[in-house]
Amino acid sequence: MLEEVTERPVPAAAGPLARLLPIVLVLWGFVGAYLLQLSLDRAGEGRVREKVIQELAYFPSGRFIRQVAIEYRELAADLVWLRAIQYYGHHLMTDRRYEWLGHVFEILTTLDQRFIGAYHFGAITLAWDARQPTEALNLLFSGMKANPMAWQLPFDAAFISYMVSRDYETAGVLFDIASRLPGAWLITRRWAAVARAKAGDYETARQMWVEMYNATENKRLRELVVRQLRNLRLTETLDRLQRAVDRFQEDRRRLPAGLDELAATGYVDGVPERDPYGGRYFLDDGKVRTTTPPGARD
Amino acid sequence: MAFNTFRESIRDKVLATLLVFAALVMGSARVIQPLALGEESKIIKDLGLSAIALFCVLIAVLVGGRIVYKEVEKRTIYIVLSKPVRRWEFIFGKYFGLLAVLFVSLVVMTLLFYLILFVLRVDGSAYLLWSVLMTLMELAVLTAVAVLFSAFTTPITGAVFTFAVYFVGHLTRDLRLLAAMSPSPVVKLVSQFLYYVLPNFANFNIRGEVVNNALLDPSALMLAVLYAAVYTATLLFISVAIFNRKEF
Repeated sequence: MLEEVTERPVPAAAGPLARLLPIVLVLWGFVGAYLLQLSLDRAGEGRVREKVIQELAYFPSGRFIRQVAIEYRELAADLVWLRAIQYYGHHLMTDRRYEWLGHVFEILTTLDQRFIGAYHFGAITLAWDARQPTEALNLLFSGMKANPMAWQLPFDAAFISYMVSRDYETAGVLFDIASRLPGAWLITRRWAAVARAKAGDYETARQMWVEMYNATENKRLRELVVRQLRNLRLTETLDRLQRAVDRFQEDRRRLPAGLDELAATGYVDGVPERDPYGGRYFLDDGKVRTTTPPGARD
Repeated sequence: MAFNTFRESIRDKVLATLLVFAALVMGSARVIQPLALGEESKIIKDLGLSAIALFCVLIAVLVGGRIVYKEVEKRTIYIVLSKPVRRWEFIFGKYFGLLAVLFVSLVVMTLLFYLILFVLRVDGSAYLLWSVLMTLMELAVLTAVAVLFSAFTTPITGAVFTFAVYFVGHLTRDLRLLAAMSPSPVVKLVSQFLYYVLPNFANFNIRGEVVNNALLDPSALMLAVLYAAVYTATLLFISVAIFNRKEF
């Protein structure tokens, strides 16, 4: 037995190449995994948009998450908030379609009915970016039921009624409700009177946007306010020039040759060189227009 | 007995691990801060208070689930009961020892939470402490549940049962809703019975109110504290009764 063992050939010591082999194989393994992951990431990039929509389509209802989250509903709401911001930001940068925005904010506010910031941001983005003022108002009205002492909610509802729906009577009532609640801005009472007088003037609108800008630390919301102020300036200038053209035509029984004639004859103080988007104002068969197409505006 | 339990449990590795995890979760608020778009304060407070509650619940379930069983398994129970220690004193000692551990953990996590609020420059008013107090009440009841299961089951079964009671205890309001909506008198009766028998942990959750600075109802708070005391006493009484029937 011992002889058999000793007679066996002793294996030759592994050469330097053989010792390196396992290391090379491991390195190759990692390189292979890295290359595959790169390919997977590239393939996934094209599906990001589709994925966002799919994820939200199957996003469970607020009531379901509310049950599952037990005593951690507020924390679940915070996670949905981060998801909502991601969804909004993604569409703001790409197609500007916000199909699931209302759904996400409904879930969020079902989970945490006291999340005033979510009602505020959700309603403003729904009304202006998603162009869904009815959904925005519904979100705020459900928030008002859960938070009857929060002045921001009737204020936002009034703001949307005034600026988007042009329902000045409702806006007046809502501004009035907001002004009577603790902590409301003093200016709200004046806006209640302005809305009741149905004076949809640009200066009041500008003041409202500026107040909203100053009151928030939400970067996205501030960007939205800046875009709306730019739009407001464009609309105001078009309106001012159009009124001057109408007055000119009434006085002289003819259309002005161009906008410069309005300035030369004193109907306007001056015509701005450029609109807020860099386009030029011009007169087209009695109508004041701008070279910036509506699609290029914010 | 309570002091010994406290000394033993405070050395438990599970406790130390959970405290480290709680610190990490609360510390992660720093990462979330730039993503929160104006809601940093709310999210950091929600995260901190939820982490405090969650990790204390885990301590109660994991440490409490084996608190009595461990004595039986190591056969130290024979030594303890051979001394002039009554069985009810043993159960109460275990309960208050564990509650003391939870209280210390709660205090440590709360101090850490306020430190994080201070570092991140988030307004941390004393109003938030009402939520911590209610978490302590919740833990008082949950510890009693854990001690009860520990008196007659193995640690794993005990932990599973305690966690199940914790989960269901947050959904008992649905049982009342079921009782109100169901046309069947049997379902009504069973749902109502379960609603009143199971602990209602939702009574102790006021995190939403304190984080949003909403007004608290003092009478509801008083009733919740009283509810915790009565429910805990009842569970401890049952635990003692079960433990008395055991033969060692």
